[in-house]
Amino acid sequence: MAYLINRLMSVVLTLFLISIITFAVTNILPGDVAMMIMGTQSNPEALAGLRESLGLNDPLIMQYGRWIGGILTGDWGTSLVFKEPIGPLIAQKVTASALIVVMSMTIALVCAIPLGVWAAVHRDRWQDSTASTVALIGVSLPDFFWGIMLILLFARGLGWLPSSGFVHPVDDFQLAIRHAFLPSLALGLGLMAHLTRMTRATMTGILGQEFIRVARAKGLSEGTVVWRYGLANAIGPVMTVAGLQVGYLFGSIIVVESLFNYTGMGWLTYQALLNRDIPLIQGSVFVIAAVVMLANLAVDLLYTLIDPRIRLA
Amino acid sequence: MKRRTFLGSTTALFGTTIFSGALPLVATAQTAPVTGGTLIWGHSETTQNLDMHQTGTASTGRVLQNVHNSIVTVDKDLKVIPMLAESFEQSEDGLTYTFKLRAGVKFHDGSDMTAEDVKYSFERCADPATGAVNFEVFNAVDTIETPDDMTVVVNLKSVNAPFLSRLAENGAGVVMPSGSGDTQGETPIGCGPFKFVSREFGNKVELARFDEYWDGPAYLDGVTAREIPEPTVRLTGLRTGELHMINDIPADRAQEIEDDATLQVVKWFPLNWDFVNLNHTFEPFQNPDVRRAFDMIIDKEMLLEGALWGQGATTASPSYPTSASYDTALTQRAQDIAAAKQMLADAGYPEGSLNIVFKATTNYPYHIESAQILVEWFREAGVNLTIEQLTWADWLSQCWVDKDYQMTMMNFFTLWEPDFLYYSLWNSTGAFNYRGINDPEIDRLTEEARITVDPAARADIYKAVQQQVFDQAHDIILWFRNGSIGAQPGVGGLDTVVHPNGSNFNFHKVWLQA
Repeated sequence: MAYLINRLMSVVLTLFLISIITFAVTNILPGDVAMMIMGTQSNPEALAGLRESLGLNDPLIMQYGRWIGGILTGDWGTSLVFKEPIGPLIAQKVTASALIVVMSMTIALVCAIPLGVWAAVHRDRWQDSTASTVALIGVSLPDFFWGIMLILLFARGLGWLPSSGFVHPVDDFQLAIRHAFLPSLALGLGLMAHLTRMTRATMTGILGQEFIRVARAKGLSEGTVVWRYGLANAIGPVMTVAGLQVGYLFGSIIVVESLFNYTGMGWLTYQALLNRDIPLIQGSVFVIAAVVMLANLAVDLLYTLIDPRIRLA
Repeated sequence: MKRRTFLGSTTALFGTTIFSGALPLVATAQTAPVTGGTLIWGHSETTQNLDMHQTGTASTGRVLQNVHNSIVTVDKDLKVIPMLAESFEQSEDGLTYTFKLRAGVKFHDGSDMTAEDVKYSFERCADPATGAVNFEVFNAVDTIETPDDMTVVVNLKSVNAPFLSRLAENGAGVVMPSGSGDTQGETPIGCGPFKFVSREFGNKVELARFDEYWDGPAYLDGVTAREIPEPTVRLTGLRTGELHMINDIPADRAQEIEDDATLQVVKWFPLNWDFVNLNHTFEPFQNPDVRRAFDMIIDKEMLLEGALWGQGATTASPSYPTSASYDTALTQRAQDIAAAKQMLADAGYPEGSLNIVFKATTNYPYHIESAQILVEWFREAGVNLTIEQLTWADWLSQCWVDKDYQMTMMNFFTLWEPDFLYYSLWNSTGAFNYRGINDPEIDRLTEEARITVDPAARADIYKAVQQQVFDQAHDIILWFRNGSIGAQPGVGGLDTVVHPNGSNFNFHKVWLQA
């Protein structure tokens, strides 16, 4: 418990530091949001008026204070460019991204673990090289390639699934899954390849160890040896990698999001940055950072469940 | 197509829509309109702030065209015609405009439109605190009076010939319910044929038919504008039938869609126009001969073919093609690299002595492609051109605001009102003069046009401005670009969608076949 409190406090502190750094860096960038709003319709007079009305002329410390004060009272502010309240906006995009991150991770794990184990058990035989080839192809080809192939096959060719768009699960759960399926698959294929290799490598190491030989010598069935003894020991590192990926994916799935016009957190953050929309940048980065850190924390806590030898003090 | 033949053949097409491909279109066009259905439109851009006064983006204006009406509007020949004002008249001295409002116009909240709403809307736009993009339209306004509920009188301090025309677009001429300003950004409310229902930011905007629309209810139950900036995704959506209609077919795919007999294509001309900019504060470009030489290095016809797959037409005049000020007599300089080389040498820049950075924005991918083609021609002419690619934010900040560039390229949506176009861009004090142009002759002419009320005389003045821009090669005007819509065969009334300004869409008369 003390460990948990400690970790959570460091999360809060880190978030605070990140918010200051983001704020400072965004303000150093050339151009401002007033310029982005008016674009090539702007003139110096109108720009000055807009800057004043957006509060961009206030000292930076005041602007930051206003923002952090809002966050602490639960008011995330309003996007300057899009005039949307930021809290609900982020909540919606987090849902969108979370849906494909969770789905792609599920697809990846469900396929990668059996495939990796299979390859490790049949090390250096055809099964192994098949699995390795599959994994190598998955790792080598970027997710947008898979995306295009999947659209061509499932949307254009077979017409089974929609090619683009996001539907909120609360509005229509089944439709939401249908819309999220292709982006999740595109993302999941690359992840799967990565995790297959990870599982195979770890399993290969484990299967060569003393206690496995002892288990076999005891006359345990091969299934029990591989799954109960082998995988139980190999799963830790695999879960660590998977957990880190969850956080990483959250802000970096912009390519897949663009390809499927599935606007989530990656897209939102990119838009915010492009438009120098400071409150929106702050809010998005804040949430992504929080997700990354909480995912790491979750992995650490998961360890204690997977491997009873680990105790967190 | 050669320029000459183009100019000949397009006079008939200017400002109108060009249909192509698709036999089913004929069948569709002949069937009677039916009521019902929601049109799903794959919109090429993301909408921003939904406040009609504050938004400067064409994307948002395009959607809001269905939600709002302006006090007056224009027909396809850009003549100002009544809209929310049933009639309008200008006093002899040009200082007073009297608008008689249409009776029975309702806002989406059920209230009636009155003179008070017009006064509110104009004053809101004029107030610098609003941050309205078009606030300068009202700079000459002295007072706005409302003698009765149906009459609005606008008194000007000085004659401002473009005033009425500028009110023909929603940016300045929109009428919103009195007091609604603060909520317009999130939930726009007007008196157009469709009500704003909701926006899922970056995903879609939903509109629903407004049954009490003064000009009769629309056929469609609603419009869902799905925001799909990626052109390939839009095309796929059209092909799979997920979308009824898309706008902005990418130039390299236009032919393929036109050849597809199962789809309709509507093209119109022009969508926008492009030009190459030379920074007049950069020493070599202070010499008009250097600018003329640069103009002569560029083969505009081939550049159009190379960067835009021929989806447009070259022009030396940036005036709207159907407008009175469009100068058909003006022709572009032909490419002559040898002569240009000689001119540069005579101006003191022999081969290899000019190193120019060309800043192009990735916001318009065809600008990057244009730049890449230009590099080769300039190399032949002994000028070393380096491309610097900028994001939209960087382009705006470096080129537009700070004027920190040597050479660049930009496009504008058709600024069909000539004062807006010529004064803003080429007057030394113009709001869009990011090239640092300072030409007393142009300053004199553009000021004179502002107080010239006679349309023919005004048009002649603007022709003189164009001649001066061309003679001095202040900018290198390239082309008008085509606009395009692709649609399923069941979408009817597509010929009514595009606003005369070439950028806005209106779905009032569009229907879906059952």
